[in-house]
Amino acid sequence: MVLKIADNIYSPLGKTTEENYAAVKQGHSMLRSYPAGTMDLPEPFTASLFDWDSVDLIDGYTHFESIVIQSVRRALEQTDIDVQAPDVQFILSTTKGNVDLLDSRAPAFPPDRVLPGVSAQYIADYFGFSRVPLVVSNACISGLSAQITALRLLESGACRTAVVAGADVQSRFIISGFGSFKALSPQECRPFDIERIGLNLGEAAATIIYTNSQESSQRHTLTEPIANSQSWQAVRGAVRNDAFHISGPSPKGEGSYRAIRAALGDEPASALAMVNVHGTSTLYNDEMESAAIDRAGLLDVPVNSLKGYYGHTMGAAGVLETVLSMRALDDGIVLGTRGFEDLGVSHRVRVSSQHSKTDRQSFLKLLSGFGGCNAAMLFRKEAGNKL
Amino acid sequence: MEELVLELKKQIIEVLNLEDVQPDDIDNDAPLFGEGLGLDSIDALELIVMMEKSYGIKIKDPSAGKDIFKSVNTMADFVSKNRTK
Amino acid sequence: MTTKQRIWITPTQVELNGTKLPVTAHGGALLTELYRQHVNDYPKFFKMDELSRLGFVAAELLLQAEGDRHSDTDDRAVILFNRCSSLCNDRKYQATIADKNDYFPSPSIFVYTLPNIVTGEIAIRNRYYGETSFYVLAARDYSFMQSVVEASFRDGTTRSALFGWIDCEDHDHFEAYMELVVQ
Repeated sequence: MVLKIADNIYSPLGKTTEENYAAVKQGHSMLRSYPAGTMDLPEPFTASLFDWDSVDLIDGYTHFESIVIQSVRRALEQTDIDVQAPDVQFILSTTKGNVDLLDSRAPAFPPDRVLPGVSAQYIADYFGFSRVPLVVSNACISGLSAQITALRLLESGACRTAVVAGADVQSRFIISGFGSFKALSPQECRPFDIERIGLNLGEAAATIIYTNSQESSQRHTLTEPIANSQSWQAVRGAVRNDAFHISGPSPKGEGSYRAIRAALGDEPASALAMVNVHGTSTLYNDEMESAAIDRAGLLDVPVNSLKGYYGHTMGAAGVLETVLSMRALDDGIVLGTRGFEDLGVSHRVRVSSQHSKTDRQSFLKLLSGFGGCNAAMLFRKEAGNKL
Repeated sequence: MEELVLELKKQIIEVLNLEDVQPDDIDNDAPLFGEGLGLDSIDALELIVMMEKSYGIKIKDPSAGKDIFKSVNTMADFVSKNRTK
Repeated sequence: MTTKQRIWITPTQVELNGTKLPVTAHGGALLTELYRQHVNDYPKFFKMDELSRLGFVAAELLLQAEGDRHSDTDDRAVILFNRCSSLCNDRKYQATIADKNDYFPSPSIFVYTLPNIVTGEIAIRNRYYGETSFYVLAARDYSFMQSVVEASFRDGTTRSALFGWIDCEDHDHFEAYMELVVQ
């Protein structure tokens, strides 16, 4: 059984999962409007960005690497994992890593630092991981792809502990690119809302540490608060392709639907506290996800998107949104979809702007990305899941 | 206008990487999207970039592209009325 | 996991199941030559970036060697690895925005600034609804790659996979080593 033993969110809203959850529970976000000229970009945009002066940057490491290190460090501190052990695998989810180094405006680093595997090795060396790090670069589903890969490697015995981090930093490269797709909303995004016109970009790092409980109960001890809480299990996950278009989602939500079915297995809809979706607030994504949810028979399950609190954090999203969802359910809360008011998709999914109470103990996380890929993962918390 | 039509056809072929298409293959009134050349959503966005780069025309709303890019003739008409370059 | 077909493509040569295929061009032109000679019915090839062309052509040759096209299925995964991610195309995109006074970000180039797009192109061509994944390593590590692909069969639906190393640094420096493997 693969169980979470630690986590962290390091974002513009806070440096710990607790700080982030407290901020989100109060409805805060760091989505701000940036004027034309920011990063030498010609148009204004709204995004959730770090104030780099208050980030604990590490000398000799890029901005991207610094936030990963800060997040991983805080998660590792909750455990006594020996990262040098040969059965501890570091997995890093990122879409663009150090791509900002390609810009002449960026600080100078050796040219191969722009390669995600090389960057991941520097991060791994910082901590002393002895295994070669694995980078997952599967567009916006990377954060779930990474967790699904971790789940498989743990279940197959290829490793005993997986430290999964997800991160991306925003840059001229990325913002201009989404701008060229006319995918950005100049205002704060409105997932599933009838007035939605696009997404906001964001940056963050998040970490989740999993262990195979059968293998590890004798090996890891945990700080008390974690050991006494019910443990979250990564039950099952799946990645499926639309086979439709490299940037637009399948209107029938083909890949998303198949991923949902495969990840759900025989878990009844009535057991789900919510489906935490991708919900980027683009016309096409939200419509597609509503179609997939309908096809999967989940219209009665509450649906929420966290993009209104963080923007689209790309490689971080899958990890950040999973960790936050777990924390919220630990508090018996299904978080509201910030930015939502009136349903603007053709399938009647249960979206609400308000937080609501729940006593259900499992949830489904969904993501979709360029390249037609879709991911779904089922998480469950049970009284029996104790280390 | 004929010169502009030919120029547009050449640009469409180049900008959209239509390797095996010649200007003569493109009928002036044929639909560019759906059937005809079978252009897609990324092609439409790329044509918006071309409009700005070559003719100084800024198209802010991508859905406006549907009418502008219906055919080479509608494009030529739009360009001749709105070009700033 | 058993290898059924394998292909190796470099800027100067192509080897399919151990047999060299005749080619005259080098570098990116070699990929176009392979497309013309062995595929030639998929104009979208010319919209693809170098990395996607490399992976697309490698997959096509493998699948042709397999025989009957096993399409419209979710039991075949596409799981690829490399070192350079989408760097080859990232540089091309950067050039469209580098100068703020000559700023024309290209959406058709931007879409290929993600290495997993090549897996999407293969999925679209073959109507593969199964898993598509992309991983990046600091250096090619074949046994690690194998352990990741073997673990992916735990998905339960996956029965075969297009698996391999598809790396492209630039027009003249690339390598594809791809296999069709079955559980």
